[in-house]
Amino acid sequence: MDYARFVRLRLPVWERFAAQLAAPAKTMTHADLEALALGYRQVLHDHALSAARYPGTAAAERLRGLAVEGTRRLVAGRAEGPAGIAVFFSRTFPRAFRRQLGLTGIALALFLLAALWGLAITSLRPGLGITFLGPKAVAGLEEGRMWTDSLVSAVPPALSSSRIATNNLSVALGAWSGGVLAGLVPLYIVLLNGLLLGSILGVTLHYSMAGELLEFIAAHGPLEISLILVSAGAGLGIGRSLVIAGDRPRAAALRDATRDALAVLLGCLPWFVVLAVVEVFVSPSPDLPAPFKVAIGLSLEAIFLTLATVPGRSPDTQP
Amino acid sequence: MDDRESILGLDNIRLDLPLAGVGSRTLAATIDYLILGVLVLLWVIAWTVSLSLVGSWAFVLLFAGIFLLEYGYFAASEILSGGRTLGKRVLKIRVITAEGGTPSKGALLTRNLVRSLDLVFGIPLMAIDPQSRRLGDRLAGTLVAHERRAEAVPFIGRVPPGWGPRELAVVEAFVARSHGFDATFRTHEMAERILERLRREAPALLEGVDTRDPVEAIRRALQVEMH
Repeated sequence: MDYARFVRLRLPVWERFAAQLAAPAKTMTHADLEALALGYRQVLHDHALSAARYPGTAAAERLRGLAVEGTRRLVAGRAEGPAGIAVFFSRTFPRAFRRQLGLTGIALALFLLAALWGLAITSLRPGLGITFLGPKAVAGLEEGRMWTDSLVSAVPPALSSSRIATNNLSVALGAWSGGVLAGLVPLYIVLLNGLLLGSILGVTLHYSMAGELLEFIAAHGPLEISLILVSAGAGLGIGRSLVIAGDRPRAAALRDATRDALAVLLGCLPWFVVLAVVEVFVSPSPDLPAPFKVAIGLSLEAIFLTLATVPGRSPDTQP
Repeated sequence: MDDRESILGLDNIRLDLPLAGVGSRTLAATIDYLILGVLVLLWVIAWTVSLSLVGSWAFVLLFAGIFLLEYGYFAASEILSGGRTLGKRVLKIRVITAEGGTPSKGALLTRNLVRSLDLVFGIPLMAIDPQSRRLGDRLAGTLVAHERRAEAVPFIGRVPPGWGPRELAVVEAFVARSHGFDATFRTHEMAERILERLRREAPALLEGVDTRDPVEAIRRALQVEMH
């Protein structure tokens, strides 16, 4: 069909549809709605024709606008929303978590290796402890005080918990986003944290304060280390996609890896809040018995691992 | 400039959604936060004035009020005005679903739930995402698209033989832009070139047309009408 003839024949339909769209939705009768739906279908088909035969013309542009606006008015959003969050935590996050379990395992192995090394060097040379803890904390240890006593008592708990949450988050975010640098930053963060934990343990062992240290970290330590390792595993996934992209373009491999890594990171975010609360209200509290702290630490870890590994194993029933 | 996201609509017809990019979205958010800043300031002033009345719960009230204002402003304005906050109205953008439809109330509530996180991660997330989605958009399955108000545009009523969509699009765009313009030298020159082509390829269309005003001559020869 000739362009001019197409416009002449169909323009009344488009203008009628535009007028129907402009009418307020509240005053519409059932007949109006049916007419609108019919007009939408006509416009959509004209849009398909004009986009193929007369691309870039005024008719094609007008029809594109009408089709987009008509779609917005007539297509109602699925009641995703709160359900979207449920789907994320029950399917998207656990699946992404399991897909990158191998990388998390690598992060864990490196972490343990670095921790052992840190433990070994500070056991052999306790003087190195000053490098890790600072002279003040070591002086305190010599007098039988943990530096953690003053860590949280100086500021109100609400303030220090948000500070700790921010700090943990920035470590995990660094481990995650640093994956873009071919996975070097997550490696660094995993090794550094392992080394720190191992060497601090070694120093406190030397001053016979390791029990106090373990008591302090019992409630939040397991989950905190898990979250850092999981974030670092996600970061390693991003790095791996850049280094070993296989037969695909690096951009495509990076996009897929980022999707999984992002799901893992988002799934971890709420846990950082839980962690900060525990770290401020439970860990430093002298009134709570050590077994209670250990129980909290182990159950938090168990809940996290259960929620990350158990749901979402059945295939999707929805299309 | 906009990113276009293709979706398949009814009857599998391809539809390009004119997605809003990180620039216009950030600008809209800036306007919204300026408005919100004024609201929060008013709230703090009101709180200070009535401080003696509330006692020890004063700070809880202060922060609860600020949270409700921030969350309420965005969620309520998007729900009440079909996915447009005041900032989005100014920038002529609107929240839609990934299918191009109107988002449900639940989706609008969800996408604003993580707004405080998006203040930190939102811009980099939008920058790396081909659909410019921030965290809230990903959770709620929403997009933000430009709105185009339909204006009267010129349609060519008589097509010279041999002209394809490219020529038609160029002439229509030219007439649309020259409409209401002063006749500058460049407009005149461009019109002369189109006329020259018409003289060569379709002299029959120019018969009886006064070519002293070239823009007007093109309109008459091709029977261009505004609709």
